[in-house]
Amino acid sequence: MAEMWISMGPQHPMTHGLWTLKVKVDGETVIDTEPDLGYIHRGVEKICEARDFTQITTYCDRLCYASANTWSHAYIYAAEDLLEVEVPERAEYIRLIAVELQRIASHLMWLGAYCPDVGNLTGMVWCLREREMMMDLLQELGGSRLHYNFPRVGGVKRDLPIGFAQRCRAKLKLFLDRIQEYEAILDESTIFLIRTQGVGYAKAAEMVNHGVSGPNIRAAGVNYDVRWAHPYSVYDEIDWEPAIERPSIKGSDCYDRYRVRVEEMVMSARMVSDALDKIPGGAETHYTSGDEAIIAKAPQRAAEGQTGFHHFEDSRGESCFYLVGGGEGRGKYPYRVSIRSPMFITLPYAAKCMIGYKVADIPAIMGSFDPCIGETDR
Amino acid sequence: MGMAVSNKQTTEAVEAIVAAANAEFSDVLSAEVRNQAGGNRKSAYVFLQVEAESWRKVAKWLKKSQAIDYCCMITGIHWPDAKDMSWQVVIHLMRFAVSNPPVSKGQVNPVPTDASKLSGKDIPVQIEVSIKLPDGRSPSVPSVADVWVGADWNEKETWDLVGIEFEGHEGMRRVLLPHDSPTGYHPLQKQHKLRYHDFNEMYDDPQGFMRKPVDIGKVK
Repeated sequence: MAEMWISMGPQHPMTHGLWTLKVKVDGETVIDTEPDLGYIHRGVEKICEARDFTQITTYCDRLCYASANTWSHAYIYAAEDLLEVEVPERAEYIRLIAVELQRIASHLMWLGAYCPDVGNLTGMVWCLREREMMMDLLQELGGSRLHYNFPRVGGVKRDLPIGFAQRCRAKLKLFLDRIQEYEAILDESTIFLIRTQGVGYAKAAEMVNHGVSGPNIRAAGVNYDVRWAHPYSVYDEIDWEPAIERPSIKGSDCYDRYRVRVEEMVMSARMVSDALDKIPGGAETHYTSGDEAIIAKAPQRAAEGQTGFHHFEDSRGESCFYLVGGGEGRGKYPYRVSIRSPMFITLPYAAKCMIGYKVADIPAIMGSFDPCIGETDR
Repeated sequence: MGMAVSNKQTTEAVEAIVAAANAEFSDVLSAEVRNQAGGNRKSAYVFLQVEAESWRKVAKWLKKSQAIDYCCMITGIHWPDAKDMSWQVVIHLMRFAVSNPPVSKGQVNPVPTDASKLSGKDIPVQIEVSIKLPDGRSPSVPSVADVWVGADWNEKETWDLVGIEFEGHEGMRRVLLPHDSPTGYHPLQKQHKLRYHDFNEMYDDPQGFMRKPVDIGKVK
């Protein structure tokens, strides 16, 4: 049979964003792939060189629309390393709550997008319904629905609203009940199992060497989580453990990557309720904005020669910010902002992962890696 | 609780790598323990200052004898006005606790998540490698894409945006900028300004039509 290159994207339901996957096929079998990125490159790193440290937060929110809070927090931790700020303990707990709620919302967005990829429309509407609850909670914190601009250098914008803890616990309880229903409709659906099991095998050692991280690597049985390996925030005080799959010796398939995200959502819900119990000052206390219990004073400028970086467990893997101080305005702006996007590194590997499978498996494999092009292209 | 890796374990692992690196490559490298602090948790990491010529040798040694199995990020920085360099490449590496989990009865069995049982080269560490390049015209460092495949696309991006060449990297191409971008155009170099005097180029004049020849070099 003749071999040929076909181009999937930039507008294709498989892509979950705007990029092209060039696929070389022999009949129905994929024999080579080549990803082509950069369709929505905004030059965030360059723009940030002309913004002060507070203004950059909003740009980092917009790196990924499905997981805005994790990205702005990743930046804030790097900025705090650069500016040498000590953060109040209560603010760290509030940040943890915000980030873990965002992780649930992001994984629900992923599951909601993945279900129609493998032929289950009910899953999509159910997941988006649950995501709405998480977004309502995040809206109470940040004030908007998608881009919260919630953390500040030195703390957080607002304290937990009155009654937030009660509403949060009620919604998490409902969520934990309903997540069993998803597992029922997906794990008992023959179509879902046929499409995901035994498809898209990825080996642990190979993935680590390729720079894949996050849930994708934990699905392969690698016990690695930045929150666990380099605890930042208050992850060392909270009751949790990384969600890890036990795949077969052939590696992790799409089904393992689905399972690990479901378990991570349950774990995040557990972390949020534990943080609400343990938060210093109590979850029902409300400090006004700017109170020193939730935000510390931070310097405006960073001198030349200072650097700051932070590895952060994003919903899709390990994100990293590297900041160099001493830019324009006598250090008011950073000299260089470098962003490590987990999906930028994972996409080439995910594309390699498809070789040997059928064209119809491409959406199932690609979707299982949870691509997000906003952060990939920056 | 008590599950996560403690800073004491990390510091010990970091000190071991620093001591080994200083013993092995005392002439071409300087290693030190530094502390990184986002929020209010401190975390130790290895800082290595390496010469460009010996970077490949150091990288292979890190991978082989220190089990550094993961290349996180490569950053290129243009320093047109700095005294001791005009370019810098910063590489962030990490060691995963277990990159090859044990297998039994046809199934992968992850190591226990209780970090207090980890020791020696199973403790995760972070490494920051800095390479200073004095050459002003054509910056270039050896590629490590064959040591860690994860460095491949990082190096592509660094060349694309900053313009640093990676010797020995095969298939270098534009990844984020359009494929037909002019040769030698790398937007993160410092001669490309965001702000000209009195107006903000990005918003008021994205195409640069209003820029006059006398404006070049005047930056507000």
